[in-house]
Amino acid sequence: MGSVRIDNARKSYGTLEVLHGVSIDIPDGEFVALVGPSGCGKSTLLRMIAGLEDITDGTITISDRVINDVPSKDRDIAMVFQNYALYPHMTVRANMAFALRQRKFPKAEIDRRVADAARILGLNHLLERKPRALSGGQRQRVAMGRAIVRDPNVFLFDEPLSNLDAKLRVQMRSELKELHQRLATTTVYVTHDQIEAMTLADRVVVMNGGRVEQAGKPLDLYDKPQSLFVAAFIGSPQMNFFAGQVHSPDRLTLDGGVELALPRSQQPLTGQVTLGVRPEHLILSESGWQATVSVVEPTGSETQITARIQGELVRVVIAGRTNAGPGDSIMLSVEARHLHVFDTASGKRL
Amino acid sequence: MTVTVSLTGRRRRAHVGRSLRIAGGITASLLFLFPVFWMILTSFKQQRDIFTTPPTFLFTPTLETYITYLQRGIIPYQMLNTVIVAFGAGIISIVAGSMAGYALSRLKIRGATFIGVLILMSRGVPPIALAVPMFLVGRSLGLIDKHIILILAYCTFLIPYVMWLMRGFFMALPKELEESAMIDGCSHFGAFFKIIVPISLPGLLSTLIFCVILAWEELLFAIVLTSRNASTIPVAIAGIAGDTVNGANWGALTAVGTLTVIPVVIFAMLVQKWLIQGLADGAVKG
Repeated sequence: MGSVRIDNARKSYGTLEVLHGVSIDIPDGEFVALVGPSGCGKSTLLRMIAGLEDITDGTITISDRVINDVPSKDRDIAMVFQNYALYPHMTVRANMAFALRQRKFPKAEIDRRVADAARILGLNHLLERKPRALSGGQRQRVAMGRAIVRDPNVFLFDEPLSNLDAKLRVQMRSELKELHQRLATTTVYVTHDQIEAMTLADRVVVMNGGRVEQAGKPLDLYDKPQSLFVAAFIGSPQMNFFAGQVHSPDRLTLDGGVELALPRSQQPLTGQVTLGVRPEHLILSESGWQATVSVVEPTGSETQITARIQGELVRVVIAGRTNAGPGDSIMLSVEARHLHVFDTASGKRL
Repeated sequence: MTVTVSLTGRRRRAHVGRSLRIAGGITASLLFLFPVFWMILTSFKQQRDIFTTPPTFLFTPTLETYITYLQRGIIPYQMLNTVIVAFGAGIISIVAGSMAGYALSRLKIRGATFIGVLILMSRGVPPIALAVPMFLVGRSLGLIDKHIILILAYCTFLIPYVMWLMRGFFMALPKELEESAMIDGCSHFGAFFKIIVPISLPGLLSTLIFCVILAWEELLFAIVLTSRNASTIPVAIAGIAGDTVNGANWGALTAVGTLTVIPVVIFAMLVQKWLIQGLADGAVKG
C-alpha cells in the first residue's frame, strides 16, 4: 500500500489550462473521493495519477516516489473505468489474470490470487464466462476483481457506478465500502455524484474549475461548507439560499423584508450576504416565514415540501408525514446555529 | 376482440413486408449470381453448345476444356502465382495498414488527419501512371517478373485502403481498453497486439478478404511487371480473351474463370466462420 501526494499539479492542453495547481495529500489506506461537476478536472487529475495524461507542471508522488515520468505499468496502480474496459475476447478468469500474466507471476500464484478475488467478490461461478454473458453488476465486480488481484499500491476508480441502475448502484456502493474496509488500500475515487462521495469516502475533495474548492471529512463539508459552491454542491436536496443585507452585527434582513438573528461569528458581518439553510433545518412552526406550499413529495420516512416565500422557491425536508397540501400556507423557522452565511461577492463563508 | 383484430392486421402487414423483403433479396441475389452461374454452366459446354440460339440449359456436359487447360501446365502455375501474390500482398497490407490506422486513430500525432487524407488521396492516382515508374524501378532492382514486385505494387494501393478502413474501426473501440491494458503492464505495442488485434479480428478478416479479392483480380500491374515466371491468372484470362489469331475461346475463358473464382469463394467461406464468431463475441462492447 502507499500514500499519494499531489503537489501543485497543473495540466494544460495547448494554451488552455484545465488544472490550476492542485495539491492533495492522501495518506496510506485513505479513501478519497474527488467530486465536482462535469469539466472540473477530477477525471483529468485521476488520469494524471494513472499515467494516462502527462503532468504539465508540479509533481505526483506515490509511496515517496515521484512518478511524473514513470509509465502507467510501473506505477503499481490499478484502475476501474466507468465502462469497465473488460477485455471482451477473454473469460472472466483471463481478464482477472491478465495483469499478473503480464508481470510473469507463477501460475500457482495467479490461480491463488484469482480464486481469492473471485471468492471475495462472489465470482466463482462466472470465471469461465465472457464479459458479454455478464450483467452490468457482474461486469462491475469483474472490473474490481481485476484490480484487486494486483494488490496494488493505489486503487483508482473513474465513476465506476455511473453505468448501473439506481438499485444496483446502492448495492455496489456498499460492496465497495466493505471491500475498502477489508483491503485498506489507498483509493482515489472520482464521481460527480456527491451522495456516492459522501457515503464512500474518508475524505471528500470538492473540485471546481480546475481547483480544489474544499477538502475534508464528508460531514465537515456538509456542516461547514467554506463556499457557496460547496454549500450548493454537497447535500440533496440542495441547500436553500436567500439574499440579504446585514444591518447590525447580529441581525440580517432578507431581500423579502424578513429579519433574522445571525449565529455568532468570529468576524463582524457587514454588507450584502447570502444566507444558506439546509432543507432539513427548516422546521414547520407557529411563527417565522410565511410560505405557500407548491408540491408535497412523501417518501415514507420523510416528506419533501417545495414552497414559496414571497416568490422564492424553498425546499423543506421534514421527518415523517404532513397534512399540508398544495396552496396551503405554512410557517417556517430555522435555528440560528443552522444558518450558513456567505459573502455574496466572494462566495466565501463568513 | 377489437384488439385481437388489430393485432392480427398488424402481424399480417409485418408478414407481407417481411415476405417482400425476402423476395427482393432473392431477386437481387439471382441478378448478381446469374452471370456466375452462366459462366460455370458454359465452362462445361462443348464449343457447339455455347453459341446455340436460343441458349440452352440442357446439354451433354464435358470436362474437356478443364482437362486441356489444366494439362497445359501454365494455368495451375499461374494460379499458384496468384495465390502467393494475392495473399502475400493482402497479409503485408493488413499488418502495415492496420498498424498505420491504429497510429493515426490513437497516437497523438500532429496532423494525423492530414496524413491520413494524404495517404488516401494516393488511391486517386490512376494505376497506369504508377505502372511505368514501377516497371523502371523494378527493372533497375532486378525484380521484374518476380512475385515480390507484384506484392509491393499491390501494397501501394492496398495499404491506404486497409489503413483507412481500420482507422475507422479502431476509433470505434473504447480507448479505455488500451489504457487498461497499459495499466495492467502492456506497452503500446503490447496493448495493440494482445487486446486490440484480437478484438478487431472480424474487421481485419473482412478487410483481408477485400484485399485478397482486389489483388486476385488485378490485371494492369500483372501485365506490366511480369512476363512468365510471376504472371497471374488475370493475365491468362486476358490472353485467352484477346487471342487475335484464333479468336476468343469462350469455353476456355469460362473454365479458367470458374477455376479463378473457386479459391476465393473457399477462402471467404472459411473466414466467414471466424467473422461470425468474432461478431458474436460482442467485441466492441466493454
